[in-house]
Amino acid sequence: MAPTCAIFPRWRRLRRFRPFPIRVAAALLAALILPACHAGSAPPIFPPGAQVLQLASLDDVPTLDPAAGYDVDSWMFEQMLFDTLIRYSDAGVDLVPDLATAWTAAPDSAVFTFHLRRDARFTNGRLVTSADFKFAIERVLDPKTRSKGMEYYRGIAGAADFAAGRAKSVAGIETPDPWTIVFRLNAPDPIFPHKLAMPFAAAVPREVVARYGEDFSRHVVGSGPFMLRQWIGGQRIVLVRNPGYFVKGAPRLDGVIEAIGVSEDLQWFRFEAGAIDLSAIPPAVFPYVVKTPRLNALTMRIVTMTTRYLGMNCRMPPFTDVRVRRALNYAVNKRKLVAVINGRGIPANGVLPPSLPGYDPTLPGYPYDPARARTLLAQAGYAHGFAATLWMPADQTMMILGQSVQQDLALVGVNLRLKPVAFAPFLEAIRQPQTVPLFFSGWEADFPDPANFLEVLLSRAQWGANNDSWFYDPRFDTLLAEAAPIANPARRYAIYREAQRIAVANAPWVFLYFPVTWEIRQPWMHGLVLNPMRPARLDRVWLSAHPPAK
Amino acid sequence: MLAYVIRRVFFGLVVLAGASVITFTIAYVAPADPAVAVAGAKADPQTLATIRRQLGLDQPLYIQYARYADRALHGDLGRSYIRREAVTDLILSRFPATAMLAISAIVLSLILGVAAGTLAAAYRGRALDNWLLVAALALLSMPVFWLGTLLLIAGGLYLRWFPLGGFDGSLSLVLPTLTLALGAAAYYSRILHASLADALDQDYVRTALGKGRSRRAAILRHAMPNAILPLVTIAGLDFAGLLSGVVLTETVFNWPGLGRLAFEAVFNLDLPLIMGTVLFSAALVVAANLIVDLLYAWLDPRIDLGGGQE
Amino acid sequence: MRANRNPTMKFRLNFMEAAGAAMVLGLAIAAVFAPALAPHDPVRAVAATFGDPAPPSLAFPLGTDQLGRDVLSRIIYGARISLAVGVAAMALTLAIGVTIGLAAGFLGGAVDSLLMRFTDVMLTMPALLLAMALVTVLQPGVLTVLLVIGLVSWTQVARVVRAEALAVSRRDFVVAARALGAAPARLILRHVAPNVMPIIVVMAALGTSGTLLLDAGLSFLTLGVPPPTPSWGRMIEESTAYFRTAPWLAIFPGLAILYAVMGFNLLGHGYLRRRGRRASTL
Repeated sequence: MAPTCAIFPRWRRLRRFRPFPIRVAAALLAALILPACHAGSAPPIFPPGAQVLQLASLDDVPTLDPAAGYDVDSWMFEQMLFDTLIRYSDAGVDLVPDLATAWTAAPDSAVFTFHLRRDARFTNGRLVTSADFKFAIERVLDPKTRSKGMEYYRGIAGAADFAAGRAKSVAGIETPDPWTIVFRLNAPDPIFPHKLAMPFAAAVPREVVARYGEDFSRHVVGSGPFMLRQWIGGQRIVLVRNPGYFVKGAPRLDGVIEAIGVSEDLQWFRFEAGAIDLSAIPPAVFPYVVKTPRLNALTMRIVTMTTRYLGMNCRMPPFTDVRVRRALNYAVNKRKLVAVINGRGIPANGVLPPSLPGYDPTLPGYPYDPARARTLLAQAGYAHGFAATLWMPADQTMMILGQSVQQDLALVGVNLRLKPVAFAPFLEAIRQPQTVPLFFSGWEADFPDPANFLEVLLSRAQWGANNDSWFYDPRFDTLLAEAAPIANPARRYAIYREAQRIAVANAPWVFLYFPVTWEIRQPWMHGLVLNPMRPARLDRVWLSAHPPAK
Repeated sequence: MLAYVIRRVFFGLVVLAGASVITFTIAYVAPADPAVAVAGAKADPQTLATIRRQLGLDQPLYIQYARYADRALHGDLGRSYIRREAVTDLILSRFPATAMLAISAIVLSLILGVAAGTLAAAYRGRALDNWLLVAALALLSMPVFWLGTLLLIAGGLYLRWFPLGGFDGSLSLVLPTLTLALGAAAYYSRILHASLADALDQDYVRTALGKGRSRRAAILRHAMPNAILPLVTIAGLDFAGLLSGVVLTETVFNWPGLGRLAFEAVFNLDLPLIMGTVLFSAALVVAANLIVDLLYAWLDPRIDLGGGQE
Repeated sequence: MRANRNPTMKFRLNFMEAAGAAMVLGLAIAAVFAPALAPHDPVRAVAATFGDPAPPSLAFPLGTDQLGRDVLSRIIYGARISLAVGVAAMALTLAIGVTIGLAAGFLGGAVDSLLMRFTDVMLTMPALLLAMALVTVLQPGVLTVLLVIGLVSWTQVARVVRAEALAVSRRDFVVAARALGAAPARLILRHVAPNVMPIIVVMAALGTSGTLLLDAGLSFLTLGVPPPTPSWGRMIEESTAYFRTAPWLAIFPGLAILYAVMGFNLLGHGYLRRRGRRASTL
């Protein structure tokens, strides 16, 4: 960018002259080696002047197959390529129509009927019908697909028989005509529509899936605002506008190019050079960005629907004692943790993040109070502290945060041994009883509902699955069961609020922080809206005139 | 000769089988459930059980291995648990980036290594020889990821001549190439220096020198042809190693090669992908060994084709 | 020997060894007396530079990191784990390599082919990848790291020792002793071991530089000795997020690794030169 050039004009002139031989040598070397790779990038995909959004990311997109993807990167692209019956609004977590025009729920929340629009087509030209949604969900339920979304649709009547091979189709999904689809559930489930807003339930064309099988991911055909044009593993992925998209005038972009293998630091450099339109902000430049008004004005932030916590195994001493668990909550300096991640978080006051409907702002949580922590430890018989092992995924950020916690706990006499392990063994270990006393974890909401945190992470039924702190409180479980079938939000959230208070008082976790996502966009990029639960949609994004990249 | 080739190919296959058994065992005893890798962190026990059956993970180890080996012999290395793509496709898609880096690194390291080694031998016992030795030892003592980071800071951040990593046109090749080539060149220079020194002590070279040949001619015309052979052997094997990916350098520069793929595979305990990348690199090394040995046999008929020692 | 014909060369070679020995001694002193030498606790936060590392200053000569820790103290303490892991892993490497090499070279026959075929298999596997997989499976820890390094780096030692043992066991006096019915164990101890000793000494020095580098590489890939134990490789890894604004966080620990590895390299190569042997035979 301009500032650096203006400050060192003479230096710049010098370096223009000096690198010449090296550049020549590099070019010669490249001329020897590069011909093979040049073949791939030969024809330009977009005509000059096309509105093409430039993005960059470090990791390759894991998959574009809606039945397989279950991560932010995959979902970001799946949202662009496919449509679900209903989806979330751009900025919020309220459900709005996607391919459905209207839907109704039976009073008992066990039957849901959706009416489809009649003008949506897959990019191979075929109309999207209710059978395509039925096929998509059956594909997810089929064990051969090995889908990560299987469990969300098991509540549909007949799903178990289908998954076990006892039935040819799922009896509870009815398609009386091409524009109507009815779901019958085994039990009332007021949040079922949210499960249909997950990309797992996106319409996929049976004929294309049949043709490519497990390689569908490389040959995706959907009905969304964009189409896949090119995907070179580890290098780049290119989407082009779907001219037949059912929303008139959308998308506004002609295409999206994501360069892969670009670390956050590299993204920042490309952003500064104007070569990409949207970037992450690497830790090193974060303070500078926040302090510079020009850049700060371009940042966008959103509190994600995520909670980071330190799980304590309530069945392993000394964490069987609630005083010890509370002491740790007082001993960890959450503000320092947030400072270590450049302030990109909010200290947690409980289980439920602020962007979640049902969040309780009046919950005081545990302030940083090492003196109180020491008192509690003394009362529990650990006046001289104790030693414990903290398990965590072997990830750079996690390990830094783990060391911060380790520093804090050392001040109250608790000596932590850190145990970073690969993610797969980590997941395996925390699910075993009496194995992991203390662990670093986090949970991202699948649905904007307290049940997705309280029931999934802390109920007795989830021992050995997702309740990795092995917490159990009979009254808490009773409240959960009471709330589950209630569709009325006010009544539902009131019960969950009470349940959360029980959980926080029993402190099965050290409640750490709610992460905040920061992005920075170019001044010429418009119409981007961040969503607390899903990757941002790009169908309304547009670019105004801007200088070419340097 | 043909019998020798067949023998060597057979032993190569035995070695590959050994490598696959070891890798399979390591991955099998891993304290992680591949079903979790497939189904994700949030999967419930019922889903996991279904997937375990699907993948045949409920079978004993030897049956799983036999199935794997059978498919591998038919050219099917399975599908990645995480990416769901065929392992062969994944490896082939990453191979060009790795191959580019390997070729440029081996070319540059040979150029630098031969130059430095020859110079050191020509100035044997003099100051330049000492400095070259110290420089070579220093380069050999540097962690490659640190050298890469330094080059990134110097060449990318301060001088801004080169991109800060990534796979982005020919200039992006320079820094990773240098990172790999400097260490290798140091090593090659010492090897060439040693074998040149040996050759210079040989009678025929002394004779040539005695007949009034210049030292330069003695080194280049007489000593070099023999001295370069061991270097070519080592470089050949190194090249096979480079072709199978370089984890640390690729990590520093975000290079989309096989090393990153293998790193990803190990981190996720993605068994089919671990097996695939290990077997691929083992096969390259076996092939390189075979080629080098055959070249030797062809160049030097004195070599005992009966097998024997080494 | 050539060194004796050339006095200046002799001096130079001894100088290499002396420099190496001095550097290794310095490393050992840093490791042993770390608590006395380090100005601060290497693990606790001594400055409130959370998320924003501070450059070198009078109070903190090498700066502080993103957790407010003193980089100089961490580097001094880092000598402990590096030296411990490096030397212990080297000892394990030698133990495995020498046992296999002696057994193969001296016993010969089926034992030899079996062991050497196994060595071939191990040589074929990419060492770093194998080490990564093993650490992932066994889970990181000091013991795991040194065990894994030993397990993946013995092959070279085994090959060299085998070749030496083979050469020694073909000499007349060993053949004669064998014919007279001397027990193999006794032969190895009395005749073979003393002859392969010098080469083992060299491999110990060069092997330590190898294990140090492998340890640093594993740490860089977050697979080394777990934090908060200060380890140079991990310090570099933790600094990558800040290499743009705080390059000193990466530069100083790297210099420490360079120093330690160079010390052992100088020792080994110096010795080799003085004995008139070439590194390329290793």
